[in-house]
Amino acid sequence: MSALIAILFYLATLLFVVGLLQRIRTYAATPAPLKIPTTPAPTTTSGVVLRMTREVVFFESLFKANLWIWSMGWLFHASMALVVLRHLRYFTDPVWGWVAAIQPFGMYAGLTMLAGLCGLWARRLIVERIRYISTPSDHLILLLLIGIAASGLTMKFVAHTDVIAVKNFFQGWMAFSFQPLPSDTVLVLHLLSVVALLVIFPISKLLHAPGVFFSPTRNQTDNPREQRHLSAWAAKLESEK
Amino acid sequence: MRLLRNLFVVLGMLVLCGQAAQAAESMPKIDIGKGGQCVRDPQWMRKNHMHLLIHQRDETLRKGIRDDQISLKNCIECHASTKDDSVIARDDSFCVACHKYEAVKIDCFECHSGIRKSAWLKNQREGK
Repeated sequence: MSALIAILFYLATLLFVVGLLQRIRTYAATPAPLKIPTTPAPTTTSGVVLRMTREVVFFESLFKANLWIWSMGWLFHASMALVVLRHLRYFTDPVWGWVAAIQPFGMYAGLTMLAGLCGLWARRLIVERIRYISTPSDHLILLLLIGIAASGLTMKFVAHTDVIAVKNFFQGWMAFSFQPLPSDTVLVLHLLSVVALLVIFPISKLLHAPGVFFSPTRNQTDNPREQRHLSAWAAKLESEK
Repeated sequence: MRLLRNLFVVLGMLVLCGQAAQAAESMPKIDIGKGGQCVRDPQWMRKNHMHLLIHQRDETLRKGIRDDQISLKNCIECHASTKDDSVIARDDSFCVACHKYEAVKIDCFECHSGIRKSAWLKNQREGK
């Protein structure tokens, strides 16, 4: 069982990294023929960097668009960031100082992460309009994330697992050596759900994570008069005239 | 097709890394002190020792019930190092080894002593 999970993690990580890089290459190569930053937009590159940072860190557009969705979405994402960073303790030895420092916060973040996810799912189930446009994958991705959060919290607050053995497993995993994993059902469920998440990441709407950086309405400078916007293929057409 | 090709390239690189990597068991090295028969099954203790300690704290502090068997003093009695009579003095001391490995803070010894009682009394007598 330990070896199987280790191999699944190798394959899933491989798919995740390669798939994501390939997607990012596709995004980067996709032409943006028009100058379409949503105004008011920054007129300098550093301004765009600042705007994108606000977008990624605070979800500015969503905040302005819908406060309800923003509050649940931002709560979930920020909590998840803390939770993921907290999990670095399994992958670093000795554990980095700041990772050790955020451990208690990461614990509460697990709870707020689950709360945010449940809020987002409730929105899909209860709001008639949203339920109508929700696809099965919308529901399933939320369920998968809820499963990961719930199983993790179960191990924290209800049925503990042997975390020392878990860390030994992942330390071994990083050095390509198979170490035994505790056979607790909740732990196996948690890890298999994470494998599933890694696998679907590069082929699902979870790609909004790298995708946000490629949004033309957000990543373009508002300088159409100072500098003519001409995509490569359009330039070619012009030179052929 | 492109995905497959890229997967193979990365797989090849990983195999190369794997051969270079040292096979590693990273379990913390622990000085278990005297050891012996624990009050519960060791595997159970690895997962749940904190609940015994917290339960005992509430029982003793709020209700004044002192258990003969389950007490921090008894933990320390068996598990303090035979070298320095402590469960927290070194990086491989009984409590510290795992707690450091897993970055879990130990609260017990902000108030309690982590030294075996006999050694503590001896220190007192010698005025250390």
